[in-house]
Amino acid sequence: MNHEIMKKKKKKNDNGEEQQFEFCEVCKLNHNQGRRHIYFPAHKSSLSALLTRLQSKLSDVKPFLKTPMLLPAEHAQQNRLWCVFCNRDVIELDTPFACGKAIEHLASGEHYKRVKGFLWKHGGGTHRADSFRVVEGDFKKWEKKCKAMKTEAAKAEAVGASNNIHNELNADYLNSFHENNTNSLDFNITNGVVVPLQSYTNEKVQVSCSVPYSASEAGSTSYDMRGRMQMVDAQCLKNSTGFMDNHLSSSSHVDYLSNGSQVQPGVKVFHGDSRSLNSMNLQKISYSSKEAIGGNVHTGATPPWFNSAEENEIMQKPELSNFVNSKAGKSSKLNPKRVGAAWAERRKLELELERRGEVITKDYDANWLPNFGGVWQSGTRRKSRKEFQVENKKSLEFDSQSESFVPLQPYISKRMRRDKSE
Amino acid sequence: MEYLLPTLREKREVDSLIRDTIDKVLVLRFGLSSDSVCLQLDDVLYKSAKDVSRFATVALVDVDSPEIQVYLKYFDITFVPSTIFFFNAHHMKMDSGSADHTKWIGTFQKKQDFVDVVEAIYRGAMKGKLIVSCPLPPERIPKFELLYKNV
Repeated sequence: MNHEIMKKKKKKNDNGEEQQFEFCEVCKLNHNQGRRHIYFPAHKSSLSALLTRLQSKLSDVKPFLKTPMLLPAEHAQQNRLWCVFCNRDVIELDTPFACGKAIEHLASGEHYKRVKGFLWKHGGGTHRADSFRVVEGDFKKWEKKCKAMKTEAAKAEAVGASNNIHNELNADYLNSFHENNTNSLDFNITNGVVVPLQSYTNEKVQVSCSVPYSASEAGSTSYDMRGRMQMVDAQCLKNSTGFMDNHLSSSSHVDYLSNGSQVQPGVKVFHGDSRSLNSMNLQKISYSSKEAIGGNVHTGATPPWFNSAEENEIMQKPELSNFVNSKAGKSSKLNPKRVGAAWAERRKLELELERRGEVITKDYDANWLPNFGGVWQSGTRRKSRKEFQVENKKSLEFDSQSESFVPLQPYISKRMRRDKSE
Repeated sequence: MEYLLPTLREKREVDSLIRDTIDKVLVLRFGLSSDSVCLQLDDVLYKSAKDVSRFATVALVDVDSPEIQVYLKYFDITFVPSTIFFFNAHHMKMDSGSADHTKWIGTFQKKQDFVDVVEAIYRGAMKGKLIVSCPLPPERIPKFELLYKNV
């Protein structure tokens, strides 16, 4: 069938250049090859790259299809999926479930149509359309599971539980979670898309916790644990855990406050954290006592690289040439013939002296003017400056003189004055 | 644009900046923050200030300020924006094909134009030249009419 189409195109126009220029979104370039373009190897390779990238993102979403998870609002903001076929972002708004909107979008009929159109247009193989969408049967199953979760959560809210017991449960399951998950560290975050938690046991424990804020708490701790898995991998120690603590504390604190429960639970969760931290096998760097004596960032000591530089400076004589040498990187001597070299050297000396504490505050004249070559100038620049200053002074004098002038009066003739006085 | 680049309103600020910029080109833009051409120039300056920061410093001077008027007379500034280049407290001239070599009047069409101009000034200054020729082609140089004593 493709051959027929191609033959028809060839009959219509022998010269490929007569066709209109089109933009291929996959290769991101304009071409006038028409339908031939999609069979070129360059296009095929860029298309396959695009589709594999998309597949990897979809594979992150697929596990959530099988096991719906609850996701707190703060983390939902970070998850979005760019749908290449529909050319739009799918942001996780108004859905309590992880990748809820993404799954809905992938299951929609519009999306399916666009997938088919895209594959036809770019020659990906329309039979592959199903791999880029969520089949209706799966979608319905997912919806059922979501509903089930919702009803269970609603039931859980009705049952009250004391805070202490809840926190003990949490701490316990955090510890056990870690032990269970040492084997399953393969599922790491690749694209920043939400990574699913594997073990069903966790889910059950979370749901059966029967605490008012179980939903948010579960979500935040799962996020926290995921982060911790990464950290165990990367062996980033205190900094990242510190950050995670802050993050967890802030998110959980917000949840607590919003639910109107007491402040105490927030404090208790910290304990849970520290306990779990200790239980994790983090490498400890034991620093020698020497470093402690020397001081560190928190005590405000100078960094070690500064210490060696200071020693060098003190040892040398404070001559300007040495100073210049240590400062300039590439050329040890700047061109002595450069513009304003003498001024620069003098000024550097002055600044250096000022810096070292011998304050020579040369109060420059308020009327100091920089060296300037006038537009209509003839002669040296010094001359132009002097001329200007002279002109300035003249104008100032003129202004001051005019103030002392006698105010103008109308002329009265001698005769009139004589007449008046008589 | 005052919050993006250092804006100077007093003569002593300008003086101290001119005196303290050593071995770097000092670009002083004399203009108003309400003028559209000035704003465009300020935008170009701000965006390229970091790129040239190793060999140039950029500052804005407000032309409306009373203390700056003496500089307007001294530098003979009538059109706004005017940009004046200094190196080690010495004024650098640039021959851009117009009658006024002492300053750059108008804005730059591209950031690269500005960077090229500053580079030309720096190179000339390092060689000891007080006047350099403009590296830009004439179509990219803003044109203006220069009046001599209002003639």
